[in-house]
Amino acid sequence: MTVDTLINWFVTLGDFPVLSFLLAVVISGIPLFLVMALNAMIAVYVERKVSAFMMDRVGPMGQGPGLHAGKWGVLQTAADAIKLLVKEDTVPETSDKFLFKMAPYIIFIGAFLGLAAVPFSSTLQVVDFNVGVFYIIAVGSIGIVGIVMAGWASNNKWSLYGAMRSAAQIISYEIPAGLSIIIPIMMAGTLNIQELIAFQSGSVWGILPNWIIFNNPFSFVAFFTFFISAVAETNRTPFDIPEAESELVAGWMTEYSGFRWAVFFLSEYANMLVVSGLAVAGFLGGWQSPIPGLFNTGLWGLFWFMSKLGFLIFVMMWFRWTFPRLRVDQLMHVCWKVLIPITMFNIFGVGIWKLIFG
Amino acid sequence: MGVVQGDQMILNIGPQHPSTHGVLRLEVMTDGEIVSQIRPHLGYLHRCFEKHSENVTYEQVIPFTDRCDYLASMNSNFGYVVAMEELMEIKVPERVEYIRVIMGELNRIGSHLLALGVYGLDIGAFTPFLYMLRDRERILDMFEYTCGARLLYNYMWIGGVSHDLPKDFETICTDFLDYFEPQIKEYNNLLSFNKIFVERTADVGVIPADVAVSYGVTGPNLRASGVKWDVRKDEPYSIYEKFDFDIPTGTGKFGTLGDCYDRYWVRMLEIKESIKILRQALKEIPSGDVHQALPKKIRPPKGSVYRRTESPRGDLGYYIVSDGTPVPFRVKMRSPAFTALSCLDEVSRGWMISDVIAILGSLDIVLGEIDR
Amino acid sequence: MSRYFQNIYDTLSTLLTGMSITWKHMVNIKRDNVTLQYPEERWPRPERNIGFEHENYNVIRSRLHVDIDDCIGCLKCERACPVDCIKIDTIKAPTRGEDIPDVKHTGETSNGTKKALVVSRFTIDMSECCYCNLCAYPCPEECIFMVGGPNSSKHPIDYEFSEFDRTDLIYQFAKKLSTEEKENLQKPLPEAKA
Repeated sequence: MTVDTLINWFVTLGDFPVLSFLLAVVISGIPLFLVMALNAMIAVYVERKVSAFMMDRVGPMGQGPGLHAGKWGVLQTAADAIKLLVKEDTVPETSDKFLFKMAPYIIFIGAFLGLAAVPFSSTLQVVDFNVGVFYIIAVGSIGIVGIVMAGWASNNKWSLYGAMRSAAQIISYEIPAGLSIIIPIMMAGTLNIQELIAFQSGSVWGILPNWIIFNNPFSFVAFFTFFISAVAETNRTPFDIPEAESELVAGWMTEYSGFRWAVFFLSEYANMLVVSGLAVAGFLGGWQSPIPGLFNTGLWGLFWFMSKLGFLIFVMMWFRWTFPRLRVDQLMHVCWKVLIPITMFNIFGVGIWKLIFG
Repeated sequence: MGVVQGDQMILNIGPQHPSTHGVLRLEVMTDGEIVSQIRPHLGYLHRCFEKHSENVTYEQVIPFTDRCDYLASMNSNFGYVVAMEELMEIKVPERVEYIRVIMGELNRIGSHLLALGVYGLDIGAFTPFLYMLRDRERILDMFEYTCGARLLYNYMWIGGVSHDLPKDFETICTDFLDYFEPQIKEYNNLLSFNKIFVERTADVGVIPADVAVSYGVTGPNLRASGVKWDVRKDEPYSIYEKFDFDIPTGTGKFGTLGDCYDRYWVRMLEIKESIKILRQALKEIPSGDVHQALPKKIRPPKGSVYRRTESPRGDLGYYIVSDGTPVPFRVKMRSPAFTALSCLDEVSRGWMISDVIAILGSLDIVLGEIDR
Repeated sequence: MSRYFQNIYDTLSTLLTGMSITWKHMVNIKRDNVTLQYPEERWPRPERNIGFEHENYNVIRSRLHVDIDDCIGCLKCERACPVDCIKIDTIKAPTRGEDIPDVKHTGETSNGTKKALVVSRFTIDMSECCYCNLCAYPCPEECIFMVGGPNSSKHPIDYEFSEFDRTDLIYQFAKKLSTEEKENLQKPLPEAKA
């Protein structure tokens, strides 16, 4: 339910604008939180199974409902969640206690806010901002503050390393991400996400859907640069140097255990959802079906969006289990010397293309 | 209060760490990311191997030698047994020599597979580790079929081996080799030629040939720096002279000569050479009685012997002093990984912490051998 | 400049090759799975094909077992152990080759050898055992062996012998005799008096 519809419905009940606004925000925040939690549970299960299948093993398995971990191990994530909740809450003695406790929630806020603008279907979106794309990119930077806080407050050299590297990485990779997402904005002429998706309706040559990725070669390359920068934004391999397991134990998350770690985890997967959602909306046609004209109404929109999102998240997991990780200076080299020139050249090319071909 | 250097940080890659290969403590002085000095602290795995061997008889030392280099324990047994047979002047039957070479080379493949897989894990690639371990399991299954144990065998005895090969061992081993050779291509496609891996390891941690020789580094680490030295060819023992195989050396394939990628690549090539030796040995193995030359009572004459053999990590040497009793007077093991670790400080000056992990992984150390 | 583009091309091609390998492994999981799901599937299970039957093994390393009725008390296994985990005490039997039911002593082994010694204590500390199998070779009656594998006919395989308390891992194979019983043994039996 979008916040606007809720407020309109409250107006029919009576005239209390401030209270109705607050109620509408809270009521639409609850399904968002549920989406976040559900996404984390399913994504963790899928990640473990996918990684296992790629490594010739089976991952978490069970023999039936109620025994061990359920058939095919579906109850494993639920068991993990319960374990994390009942774990002992350790706060290091020499750490900065206030910052230590605040840090997970700041990262959580960054991911949660971004989720508010992701269009799950033509009607299912919490708020339809006029500047949706800009809002998501802006809000995505809040997470850095939390990461640096976590690294500093742990009073641990390993965490500090991880936090510093992560800060440099996320700030640098915002630039190619922003430059790549300019291409759909240039072509559609608007920052509003729903209008961006509506621009991609119809078809090209009758069979190919009119998605921005198929429009011209420059936007095809732009999709890949956006995707690579998105993977770097979320600290996933091959860019997971901040939480590099074999070098820094667990990087900036070393001192966190139990529920606080669960909050980090939740926000990492929510971040993946947000950037994949933006990629799908900007380049792959959002909730529109790949067969132009058919299956485009109502709940089908949700189905197409979820499947495209699922595919992109699967590709992110595929990357993680196949490639080794980059060293910090090589990461910076890729960002500043390879991705940024390519994206700038792309913008130039799309501009010329639109001028010539209209 | 002493002088505090404002920009120097002492970082402890401690005994418990996911990628030091065993319990090793490295005290690293860095300024931010660039390393200026490393001090390794050893001794967390010291189990008094040499002191134990002064209190047990000669054949009871063999389970202890297994546990020093636990990833290549057939080769550790081999080294000890060859040294003892030189001291006691025992000539073992031909079949025993062939069996020992087969087991030694199979264990060399297993140890190299583990070293390469764990190196991939240090660099961040999780999947090749599992593939290599899956193939190593098949080698361990073959060992289990022959002598019952999977990791610590106690197989090579003074004067022979403990059990003869089972009847269908030749077929099983040849089937394994036929299955395994195409897998090497898969490993290369997945990890060795991967651009990210090459960028991480090429030109990193170069050990020039003269530095390597002056520190006493041996084995694949030395061969990767360009020096063609292998104990199997230069001071041959057992029946290695009968086999036709080359010694792969580093060529600076993707970077400079003697960098981490060369050490990785030399080990990959050595696996191929071991497969060659195995195929020749399996074809030519004669029949015979393996327990023929086992001495009734092991009482070597007074004297001492030092003999080197080639283990997957380098030059493994045993110095045995006997005084005529069934209990040795002194057994000393010269460990190749110890000298490899000693050159870590010089090689990693000026590199970053991620590179220190990469260099440590490429040296392929086993703490059991270093600390004994 | 051309190296720059060559680098980008190399990166993309090697990355795509790597991804295709993991994709192939992922879709072939039913054929390639190597996991044995313990405890539902236990080794050795006939359907799990590892290429050879475990009864055909030359030797197996597992828990030690002693058929105490066959033991003649020669102490060869105690001397062969490198870590001294076998401890045996023996008392001279009053008559050679005769059963003494009070202390559960049989006079002859299953191979027909007459026993001259009563074993009063035979403990093996499995927590110290290094599984080298050096004790099994010198035994003349083959009464000490590792269970399972080629010895499955004498004792089925057992590799799940973990305990909660470390002292429970000290296995006593002979009935431990009290001092009174030991003194009784050393007194001459009434029938022996002529």
